[in-house]
Amino acid sequence: MKKEEEFMPKILAFLCNWCSYAGADLAGTSRLKYPPSILPIRVMCSSRVDPLFIIKAYLAGADGVLVAGCHPGDCHYDKGNYYTRRRFAMLKKIFEELGLESDRLLLSWVSASEGTKYAKVATEFTEKIKKSGDNSVKKEIFL
Amino acid sequence: MSISEPDLKNKGAIISAKLGTKQAIIDILEKAMDKGIFDAVLIPMRVPAGDSFAYVLIKDKSLLKEAFPLPPVMSVQGGHAVSSVTRLGKGKTKIAVVMRPCEIRATIELSKLGQTNLENITLISIDCPGVLPISDFLSDPKKSIKLFDDAVQKWDDKIMRPVCQICDKSSMITGDIHIGTLGAKKDSFFIISSSQKGNDVLDKLDIALKDSIDSWEAKVKIISEEKLKKRKKNLKELKSKIGGIDNLLDAFSQCINCHNCMRVCPICYCRLCYFDSDKVKHPSEDYLQRAESKGSIRFLPDTTLFQMGRMMHMSLSCVSCGACEDACPMSIPVAQIFSMVADDTQGLFDYVSGRSLDEPLPLVTYKEEELHEVEDAND
Repeated sequence: MKKEEEFMPKILAFLCNWCSYAGADLAGTSRLKYPPSILPIRVMCSSRVDPLFIIKAYLAGADGVLVAGCHPGDCHYDKGNYYTRRRFAMLKKIFEELGLESDRLLLSWVSASEGTKYAKVATEFTEKIKKSGDNSVKKEIFL
Repeated sequence: MSISEPDLKNKGAIISAKLGTKQAIIDILEKAMDKGIFDAVLIPMRVPAGDSFAYVLIKDKSLLKEAFPLPPVMSVQGGHAVSSVTRLGKGKTKIAVVMRPCEIRATIELSKLGQTNLENITLISIDCPGVLPISDFLSDPKKSIKLFDDAVQKWDDKIMRPVCQICDKSSMITGDIHIGTLGAKKDSFFIISSSQKGNDVLDKLDIALKDSIDSWEAKVKIISEEKLKKRKKNLKELKSKIGGIDNLLDAFSQCINCHNCMRVCPICYCRLCYFDSDKVKHPSEDYLQRAESKGSIRFLPDTTLFQMGRMMHMSLSCVSCGACEDACPMSIPVAQIFSMVADDTQGLFDYVSGRSLDEPLPLVTYKEEELHEVEDAND
């Protein structure tokens, strides 16, 4: 998986079952190319993601964490993604307040038909993380 | 915003207190119990050994004379006490609760979290000068009580806990009745009602709300503004001190994972905290794997995860009461760090913990159009 020399980040992606996971699937079946940096985890709704998961991933050394769900207004459960957005905003705020790299967290809306968008989000996010480099938490022992 | 604006007209009653504020408060409570307005009073009392204070639910009004409305330490956060009484629903007894403003605010948050039923509870707050750090108090309780009394006279917060020194909500009215000692003439204090419930109680007690409370409001405004300025300055300094992963880990490096901060926190009501559950206990292979990838890992593990998780779980309701810092055996400035985070997370939703029962908790509500800045720019 690792190209020689080049740093390939490890990005954890929480994808909602109804939209974003299907979008990622579509990207795959459409044979769209995007970096092999994303490790997808399917959740029933983006609001299933307790921000604690994201904190845990970050502290465990994930270079980036992506949370993706249905577009606002299109949530399979009506309003789950609105809650996700509030929690995500709050988490980002906490990261900022503690001087952590909140740029390593990304919230995106990807519908089931947006295979191309998923590939784009994955590519762009990976490029961004590549620029930021390794998550320095990886080396920390006294966490 | 930091000073509450009672929706009723800004009037109060001036109560004369020849025998001291404490005695006058007790007299009023006694009268209220006599008249059957309250069946019981939940109020701090000095423990028999004299070296601490505890909340007691007083049913026998003759015991009220032992009450201590403004103790020098916060041994138990009052919100905890109220929710213990009413967690299983409202009782038939009407209870008056005398607490500090931050304790009232915690109670209000707990009510929104479904952990207390305030229907038969009357919340009475008092202007708060702060409290002493428990460790300072315990080193010499007798002397500390005297020091505290002197400090209250001068309204000097130098010996109070750091988080009390930067509290700009020490006179915030969010309960039913407020006792204002600031700006009052000698041997008197203000009684201010801030709800219909408060009005009814004072009405039955024949306390007419006809006096101006301008001098109280003016004094509170000055103090709150001063403290807010200090708060911003101190928290900014703290932010630069603990900002960044290295500094953050340094700040929490002494944490022994005892979870005392969580246990004393009035907002942390969960009967089983995630961080005490089996969810955070992993098979040894997991730890070995982690040790392998980093070279070694610390035990007990995941202290930072605990702290950050707690910030995520409770900072929106944090009232900066400082109970966590008092309880920390390693003297980590937990309360100041949480205050700093809470100011910002609450600010994000224009929310102030415990300000009003009518404001929904930010995470149980939403707006369709908001926070687009946290979404991916592609959207």
